[in-house]
Amino acid sequence: MSAPAPSGTTPAGDVGGPVGGAATPLTPVMVALKLSLLRNGLRQSAKRRAVYLASVVVVLLFAVLQLAGLVALRGSAHATTIGVLLVAVLALGWAVLPLFFPSGDETLDPTRLVMLPLHPRPLVRALLAASLVGIGPLFTLCLVVGSAIALAHGAAAAAVAVPAVLLALLVCVALARAVAAANIRLLTSRRGRDLAVLSGLIIAVGIQVVNFSAQKLGTAGLGKLDPLADVVRWIPPASALGAVDSIGDGAYLSGAVQLALTLVALVVLLYLWQNSITRLMTSPDGSTLDASGGGRQRAGRGVGLARLLPEGRLGAAMERTLRYVWRDPKTKAAWVTSLTIGLIVPVFNALQNSGSVYFACFASGMLGIQMYNQFGQDGSAFWIVATTVSAPREALLELRGRAQALILITVPYATLVTLVTTALVGGWNRLPEVLGLSYGLLGALLATGAWSSARFPYSIPREGYKNVAPGQSGLAGISIVGGMAASALLCSPLLGATLWLHLSGAGDWGWVLLPLGALYGTAATVVGLRLAAPCMARRLPEILTAVTVG
Amino acid sequence: MAAEGPVAAEERAAGEEPEAAVRIRSLWKRFGEQIAVAGIDLTLPAGRFIGLVGPNGAGKTTTLSMITGLLRPDQGTVEVVGRDVWSDPADVKSRIGVLPEGLRMFERLSGRELLTYTGRLRGLPTAEVDKRAAQLLDVLGLSGSQHKLVVDYSTGMRKKIGLACALLHNPEVLFLDEPFEGVDPVSAQTIRKVLERYTASGATVVFSSHVMELVESLCDWVAVLAAGRIRAQGPLDEVRGDAPSLQAAFLELVGVRGDDAETSLDWLGGGTR
Repeated sequence: MSAPAPSGTTPAGDVGGPVGGAATPLTPVMVALKLSLLRNGLRQSAKRRAVYLASVVVVLLFAVLQLAGLVALRGSAHATTIGVLLVAVLALGWAVLPLFFPSGDETLDPTRLVMLPLHPRPLVRALLAASLVGIGPLFTLCLVVGSAIALAHGAAAAAVAVPAVLLALLVCVALARAVAAANIRLLTSRRGRDLAVLSGLIIAVGIQVVNFSAQKLGTAGLGKLDPLADVVRWIPPASALGAVDSIGDGAYLSGAVQLALTLVALVVLLYLWQNSITRLMTSPDGSTLDASGGGRQRAGRGVGLARLLPEGRLGAAMERTLRYVWRDPKTKAAWVTSLTIGLIVPVFNALQNSGSVYFACFASGMLGIQMYNQFGQDGSAFWIVATTVSAPREALLELRGRAQALILITVPYATLVTLVTTALVGGWNRLPEVLGLSYGLLGALLATGAWSSARFPYSIPREGYKNVAPGQSGLAGISIVGGMAASALLCSPLLGATLWLHLSGAGDWGWVLLPLGALYGTAATVVGLRLAAPCMARRLPEILTAVTVG
Repeated sequence: MAAEGPVAAEERAAGEEPEAAVRIRSLWKRFGEQIAVAGIDLTLPAGRFIGLVGPNGAGKTTTLSMITGLLRPDQGTVEVVGRDVWSDPADVKSRIGVLPEGLRMFERLSGRELLTYTGRLRGLPTAEVDKRAAQLLDVLGLSGSQHKLVVDYSTGMRKKIGLACALLHNPEVLFLDEPFEGVDPVSAQTIRKVLERYTASGATVVFSSHVMELVESLCDWVAVLAAGRIRAQGPLDEVRGDAPSLQAAFLELVGVRGDDAETSLDWLGGGTR
């Protein structure tokens, strides 16, 4: 571990030490606290321990491989570029990650220490030391050391590399803490928690972007990055590595300036962090602040939306469903995922020249799934629906409202995706039949989704990343897998008709499938909703109990 | 003090059937091994301010959930304004208002939107919903934050918007589960005023609480619930009996005496450490 961690020192011994001494006893206490928290967290469950150990092994393996790669890079023409940019990317990661994973480290939440008589300066020092304990800093250290080895040429450069590596590591850690402390209001507020739910998606998209850029670089060559590296080598903490390189080249003045820049950055970050902590510890936390400023503008938009929708229960259910797509973080994450995957799969397949027009059905498939577990999405707020439904007629209106809200988004989107895919793949003569299949599939999913929402509801926990409450995963499995199988079965007449048309050489008649699929989908939806409504009306208390768990 | 049996029996014998807002017969609910409600018989008179009191875990929420159609009983019948909740839910649901505890509302709607939504689910005309919503928001002091999302509301504001939703369709009987829990004194006073005005017009309020002072000052009729059974029911004065306060009568009914902390914490005093 990179930390100066005297794990044998007990907190009690330090507290009892000389208080007036310049060397504050707080640092070992905080480091010990961090280690205890880590240990106790792992003690809670074997599963967690296994996951942690596995992640340590993976991270270490990755770090060692990177280290070996960087060492091997030594002497290569692009060593400087890669080393400098790698540290810059690491620093960026440190700056961004605390925004998405705010609860990672309890020792870093200054509001937990607010009752203790601590001075800001020793506190920041102690917290900085504590935040050096962990997998993240270790991983960073490995990469920074690797970069330094790849860059350092000559004794002078090697000598400078030691403080440079330490400075770079400290700047990374201090940057993360300064950003987290400055944004703790956001992170403890409702909006911050909403943000966290979307983080998985952002990371997934980020990986795609990185993947894409890496492929581009692979074809264009690393030389493209040299101008960027020339700038980045002056920006802390990459400037620390820049200093090692400059001194290796004999540019001692540049090297000194770059090292000084890194040091100044560290001091500034620590100063900002200390200020944030002092301010945080003496002001109310996010939960007591008025989180909503922009409420006024919303009113007008709502009225406009409402005017276009039908009167009564049908319109009310549609309106609320549509509002929740945008406003509820879990629902939003599910929708954004479905919309993205529904577009990416057919389009990327088409771009790689391996695609088929039929992949366009993915869009309506992914969006149709949103009809599943409708009431789980409501959570315990379902009681409002339950107290106002007393007959199958009202249940039907409720289900119809939700299905129509879904159709309002899905049909245009699926049509658009099908058009785009066809444009990329070619073969416009197949467009009508793919559209027909899409609509048929959507109808089947809406029908089975409505029925399984009423028959197999399960709870979606509000907080965290899980989409199924503990103990209900079997139920969720039945609901989704069974529903998919039933939908596929429901679609089989359409699929059969498509196959028959092509096999019998009557491919020119493919357009028949458009009206046929649309009709079939509509009929399936209508019948499905009518079958689901009495089931929902009968099972209201059971549904409420099921979706209130967790 | 009235024990459970005689009062109900008397009322039935006196032929006061239409007077009852709620009539419960041998109501049972088990959750696995635990018996939450163990055979309740209860008749709540119409037009009263009724308090359902009991310690935590007494079965208040379970009972209210079963009365309002949110939880299916294992056994027993519940009638509200003369209609069976479980065989004739359509009629009952339009005549009652509910404010459950612990259940969320659609929190990603603003207060105003939540009221409009609830009104439309209840089948009220849009213009009427708008008028009533504006008045309720005004009386409950929520006009200033009507466009804020409910998720950003404080506890007091949540209870008030919940009450507004429960009152919107002008129900005959209003069921409130712990309506004053975690509510500041100003909001509590507002809620109180609205409820008093509501009962003055002849409607019935049934609310659960474990704060005896509150029940004593608000209610004219109480039912005491402990360990899933009714310990006493009747007008406030009868249940209180000779005891100095409802609190004292309640502790006696539930069988608790408060003198065992005397000896064990003798070091506690704020002087020396």
